[in-house]
Amino acid sequence: MTELSAGGVPPSTSLSVAVGGRVGVQSWWRTPTARRYLFGYTLLAPAVLYVLLLVGIPFVFSLYLAMSDASVGVPVARFVGLENFKTAVENATFYVALRNTIVFTLGAGIMKGLLGTTLAFLLVQPFRGRKIIRALVVIPFTLPIAVSVLGWKWMFDSQFSVINWALNKAALIGPYGSPDWPVWLGQPWLAFFSVMFVNVWRGFPFSAIVLLAGLTSVPPEIIDAAKVDGTSFLKRFRLVIVPMIAPILFIGSAFDTVFTLSDLSIVYLLTNGGPDGATEILPTLAYNTGIRGGALGRGAAISLFLFPLLLPAMIMLLRTLRRRQY
Amino acid sequence: MATLAPTLGQRAPRTARARSVRRHVFIYLGLVPFMIIAVGPVIWMFITAIKQDADLYLVGAIPFWFNQPPTWKNFDFLFHNTFYGDWIVNTMAISFWVSAITLLTAVPAGYALARLRLPFAENLGIAIFMTYLVPAIILFIPLARVVTELGLQDSWWALVVVYPTFTIPFCTWLLMGFFKTVPFEIEEAAMVDGCGQLGALLRVVLPVSWPGLITAVIFSFTLSMQDFLYSLAFVSISEEKPVPLGVATELIRGDIYFWGSLMAGALLVGVPVAIVYNFFLDRFISGITGAAIK
Repeated sequence: MTELSAGGVPPSTSLSVAVGGRVGVQSWWRTPTARRYLFGYTLLAPAVLYVLLLVGIPFVFSLYLAMSDASVGVPVARFVGLENFKTAVENATFYVALRNTIVFTLGAGIMKGLLGTTLAFLLVQPFRGRKIIRALVVIPFTLPIAVSVLGWKWMFDSQFSVINWALNKAALIGPYGSPDWPVWLGQPWLAFFSVMFVNVWRGFPFSAIVLLAGLTSVPPEIIDAAKVDGTSFLKRFRLVIVPMIAPILFIGSAFDTVFTLSDLSIVYLLTNGGPDGATEILPTLAYNTGIRGGALGRGAAISLFLFPLLLPAMIMLLRTLRRRQY
Repeated sequence: MATLAPTLGQRAPRTARARSVRRHVFIYLGLVPFMIIAVGPVIWMFITAIKQDADLYLVGAIPFWFNQPPTWKNFDFLFHNTFYGDWIVNTMAISFWVSAITLLTAVPAGYALARLRLPFAENLGIAIFMTYLVPAIILFIPLARVVTELGLQDSWWALVVVYPTFTIPFCTWLLMGFFKTVPFEIEEAAMVDGCGQLGALLRVVLPVSWPGLITAVIFSFTLSMQDFLYSLAFVSISEEKPVPLGVATELIRGDIYFWGSLMAGALLVGVPVAIVYNFFLDRFISGITGAAIK
């Protein structure tokens, strides 16, 4: 049936159908609706095919690889079932990497949330120079990640660390060579703290800007109304502001979790998992096993262990995206 | 004035001006640590980049001070003793092709999802966007196979094939939102004037959508620049590397880091990218969080 009344499809499109003569029962394929669908799905096809071919199929293929003994240079792979997962789980390094990944993601996530919230509440105030300050504060997030990590590598230098110089001048640490001189990337706990710190440094502006966008969407009348009602600042914060920003904070954290879990460049460039596996995370383990070690199957299996960690964040995002109203 | 300071200034000072000054002082004091943490490293990188080598390793000297005159020789070194020039050309070429592929696929897709009232358009849009969240770390091993099958290993063309896996989903989503804001009337007018649906898209909708198209190009560029894993996994020949990978892997000989040139090479490309990204950051945020904030 022709949908002449539906907005967006003017009568003119059906003209070409009508010219064909007096068609009693139009075949559905020639109706404007059908033509619109055909046109629409044709436009969609390239993007859908690209994503299907290079994300969908590789994803399925990674499941297959993980269950095969594929390795670099050996074209034919045997099906080995869950062997790779078993080998991975039986490896002590795997547990270290899994534990580090979880601690790293959660710890850094909480710190980014706290710093980001503080910064967002400062930036939401009207003050002079706000735009410039905002532009400067987001630099860590906008710099290409490999570039800024190199800067940090230099700042964590074992001898010429500018951080140590400053701490030393402030009399917080001892002189170079003494046990009180921290070697940031050389001592297990410090190294773990350092890679986490760089992740926080890169991510806190993102949390802040996401929250800021949310805060500016809180109608000021609501806060004013609460103020008129005589509620204290703390109560206003708890009852009005927190419920309004919590969903936004969750979205920001969910995205950030996805970014953090899948990022290997910080650890790879700063420590490559060392010293002694102290900063090994699943991405670096998967890379070193799969590409450097050439055991594609085992590497794929290790990287798939990230999936259950990613899933909660992805499901949460999916639910909020579906709620989006136009 | 009271409404301007919802969280500060509980005790009423004498005048509005004094209150405003006090409020500013509070805010600036709160922002100082953030500024130092955010910008400090970049300034330090810049100082390192224009210092003479010997000056970097002076024990006892103030690191922020120039004990020997500043120099451009670290930048010189990049262009004369490394493949930095090639890396820049590679990066530009990759960005160009990735943008082209992204525009050719994401523009029609975004338009179709936003405008043509297709069945399942909303869910399809979400499905495409969700692929943006499938991380590179899960895909890079199977994609290594794809790259080998295509005969593109160790060539920057491998990255041209791979980067659209994240730029297409992101830009489709972005453009879908964008096309929804273009008024329907202009299309209808064009079709009344005898344009077909395709004609209306090409002649009327696209010309008024150039801000959206530029945004898509910018993100194809900035998102590609954020990649490290794919280039690390697929490109190992020096001349074929993009800038971030080249700087991170080629300016190190064994245990020796050429810090001056490293920082020079990193900033020379990093700062322009950061500036461009900065201007489009709000688009990025509203693109990915549109859900909750609208």
